Amino acid sequence: MRAIPTLKISISGVRGVVGDSLTPVLLTRFAQAFGTYVGSGRIVVGRDPRRSGEMVRQAVVAGLLSSGCRSVDVGVVPVPTVQLMVRRLGAVGGIAITASHNPAEWNALKFIGSDGLFLSGDRGHELLDIYHQGDYTKVRGSEMRAVELVPGATDVHAGLILKELGPLPRRPGGRPIRAVLDSCNGAGSIVTPRLIEALGAQVTAINVTPDGSFPRAAEPSPENLGALCAAVKREAADVGFAQDMDADRLAIVSDRGEPIGEELTLVLAVRHVLAVTPGPVVTNLSTTHAVDAVAAQFGCRVTRTRVGEANVAEGMLRAGAVIGGEGNGGVIYPRINFGRDSLVGIGLVLHLLAASGRSVSDLVAELPRYRMVKERVACPSQRIAEVLRKVRRDYAGFPTDLRDGVKVVLPDGWFQVRGSNTEPVLRLVAEAETDEAAARIARSVSAVVRSSR
Amino acid sequence: MKALKIGISGVRGIVGEAFTPEVAVSFAQAFGTYLDSGRILVCRDTRPSGPMVASAVMSGLLASGCEVVDLGVCPTPSMQLAVPQLGAQGGISITAGHNPASWNALKFVRADGLYLNEMQAEELLDIFHQGEFEKVTWDRIRTSIATGDAVGHHIDALRRAFDVAEVRARRLKVAVDCCNGACALLVPRWLEELGCEVLAINDDVTAPFPHDPEPRVETMAQVRALVKAGRADIGFVHDADGERLGIVDEGGSPLSEELTLVLATVIALGRKSGPVVTNISTTRLIDRIATRHGVPVIRTPVGQAHISEAILEHNAVIGGEGNGSVAVPAVQASHDSAATIGLLLGHLARSGTRVSVMVADLPRLAMLKQKVPVEPNLIFSALQDFRETVLGLPGASVDLTDGVKVDWPDGWVHVRASNTESLIRVIAEADTTVRAGELADWARDRLRR
Repeated sequence: MRAIPTLKISISGVRGVVGDSLTPVLLTRFAQAFGTYVGSGRIVVGRDPRRSGEMVRQAVVAGLLSSGCRSVDVGVVPVPTVQLMVRRLGAVGGIAITASHNPAEWNALKFIGSDGLFLSGDRGHELLDIYHQGDYTKVRGSEMRAVELVPGATDVHAGLILKELGPLPRRPGGRPIRAVLDSCNGAGSIVTPRLIEALGAQVTAINVTPDGSFPRAAEPSPENLGALCAAVKREAADVGFAQDMDADRLAIVSDRGEPIGEELTLVLAVRHVLAVTPGPVVTNLSTTHAVDAVAAQFGCRVTRTRVGEANVAEGMLRAGAVIGGEGNGGVIYPRINFGRDSLVGIGLVLHLLAASGRSVSDLVAELPRYRMVKERVACPSQRIAEVLRKVRRDYAGFPTDLRDGVKVVLPDGWFQVRGSNTEPVLRLVAEAETDEAAARIARSVSAVVRSSR
Repeated sequence: MKALKIGISGVRGIVGEAFTPEVAVSFAQAFGTYLDSGRILVCRDTRPSGPMVASAVMSGLLASGCEVVDLGVCPTPSMQLAVPQLGAQGGISITAGHNPASWNALKFVRADGLYLNEMQAEELLDIFHQGEFEKVTWDRIRTSIATGDAVGHHIDALRRAFDVAEVRARRLKVAVDCCNGACALLVPRWLEELGCEVLAINDDVTAPFPHDPEPRVETMAQVRALVKAGRADIGFVHDADGERLGIVDEGGSPLSEELTLVLATVIALGRKSGPVVTNISTTRLIDRIATRHGVPVIRTPVGQAHISEAILEHNAVIGGEGNGSVAVPAVQASHDSAATIGLLLGHLARSGTRVSVMVADLPRLAMLKQKVPVEPNLIFSALQDFRETVLGLPGASVDLTDGVKVDWPDGWVHVRASNTESLIRVIAEADTTVRAGELADWARDRLRR
């Protein structure tokens, strides 16, 4: 069996390589399937600045119009802006054209329901069924709707954040916070510096030309943040923020010019929100237990869900969460948006810095200390279930969570092994209070996995 | 069977049935592949499905590496003139011309602004059917779509080709029905330029077609009333994309669409001697007029591509078809209703004559045009059978250039498959209406067998 590495059609949407498998015919068919699924109505369409974005957009618009929908074009915007606009415009759905952290040759469609949440689970399956059946709603010319252009969606988004969070309080000594921003030339390039300034902080921005060029790998992981770290040191800034191409994920660089690790973005946001409005917290099974430790300080409960933004967002709705998100830098703040939103994350972290009067490095030092090890192990898709059964048997004596792969809580830490949604690999996460303990757990689980794959 | 017609005139069908976004995307990719990428102009008429088809086309063109210039709503002849002017490799016009609003189509234009000829269209079809399209990678794809104004350039070209001052001096009163088509953006502007007093109706490009966009006597009621009420010198009615033109005389009487080319030929030959190009279905009046001037008539198969190529090949002074389409070579070798208007109004201004007088001077012939609906899969066998019955007919000559044309000394009948719809056209012409009817009936009887 040969894998086709350039196309992935799943309940999370369709991703592929432009010039190869992601053809305009495929795209226009997916848009028709989505139009058929949601029924005719307004569909918000937004995209990141990838070079293939216009080609993809035109194919999507044709498919939506053909199925009787009105395409509402919000232009080049962060993905969370598309989610926000779906709800604010009372649209029946949305399509975000972005391959988020994937390299430049990729693009993708992500489908959003009328609630502003990404389709997943049952809804994703229903859409896929319609796509595969190929019997799409086709309206006559006389019933066809026009394309509606809605400029200024990012201003609406930033304005809402400013209204909900308010301007930053004055810090002791009165010096404004100095931030450095690295938008990766992505969808956040224009709006994010404006938002930071509107909140009352100073900003130095790098990589804010949204022209589809990738100045660095789009994933805001520590190894890609060299330029941002240098700029933070050079500017003697208080904090550095890194976005990915579609501005849903956020990574933070400390006042010392060091990445604090993506897992801690959510932890800092949780700390700030719970201090102001205590309440339930929701995150996925793979995210650091520092979230639980911080929540415990405020007497709040943490609910865990399967990995995936839609799962977390749905869990937040059920739990009535005040804050939630994922350890990959995805902060979800439901008073503004039910999706991962780096703009909201920046607002919350700036407020934390201003309200506490402390530096990023001090705040991080105060957090309960956890160390995390992540590993990818190649494994043929058909072997994954067997490997997971073996792991479960070998750790049968410990508390186990089987909602997403296998998660086991050990006396000195925890680990999770699960099959990737996107590649033939197993993902292993281990966390403990010391580097040694985390490494030891990871080693022993990895040995089980490798011996049985 | 659902209507989708893929042939040398492009691809045409009913939107919401077989003319899908996938078909439009794939044809655009095939065209982009055929032209080896390059700059491509895209225009559309005012059909409500236009924006959907335009998006599909532009996506396909971008995916195949083209640079796209979106002219928006714009007459096809304006786009054709703009293609060489903007140094483009070609163009796609999204219009079903004279077909009803539920239809749409793609017409393909090459670098010189002419439609693809038969051979080129075959090549494009081969690429479409093979389905192996050029696909550019992310670093070579065009990131945006430019816009352009082809109408302004068209007006400039018309101004250069005609004596505008002469027409302005007469201050003609002109009634025009734009059928809410793309011409609404061009023709009223052009008439103002010519100093006419313009009585325009159905000139709203956002409104639906008020009647079928085919300039025939049946669709001229509104403009006839307008001519009478406004005491206009002439009335015009347009199709959706600016190729065909129908004429109403100063008394409000409608002219057969066959007479548009006939009047244009009278005017053109009165100014300059040279060959006339038309298709084999068009009235013999053309031959009578050409004979008076001692010039040849070149007859081609039906379809604009054939007319345009023959105009260039024979250096013709005028060309066109009996459906109201006229090409004025001084402007371009393609059908262009605005250029036709320039020719007609120039003559009225110069000579001081009236349309009814020009018509009265013409010889009298009677023509009948009929449509016989046939299932698409039976059209060619029906034609084949008809051909068998007429070959060797005594006293008649048979021309197989395009379908089957049978000529007698006192008339002719032409039976051919439509390029654009699932039907067989029967056209008969004779000295009298009775005789033309007999010829048409004769042909239809033989088609039904």
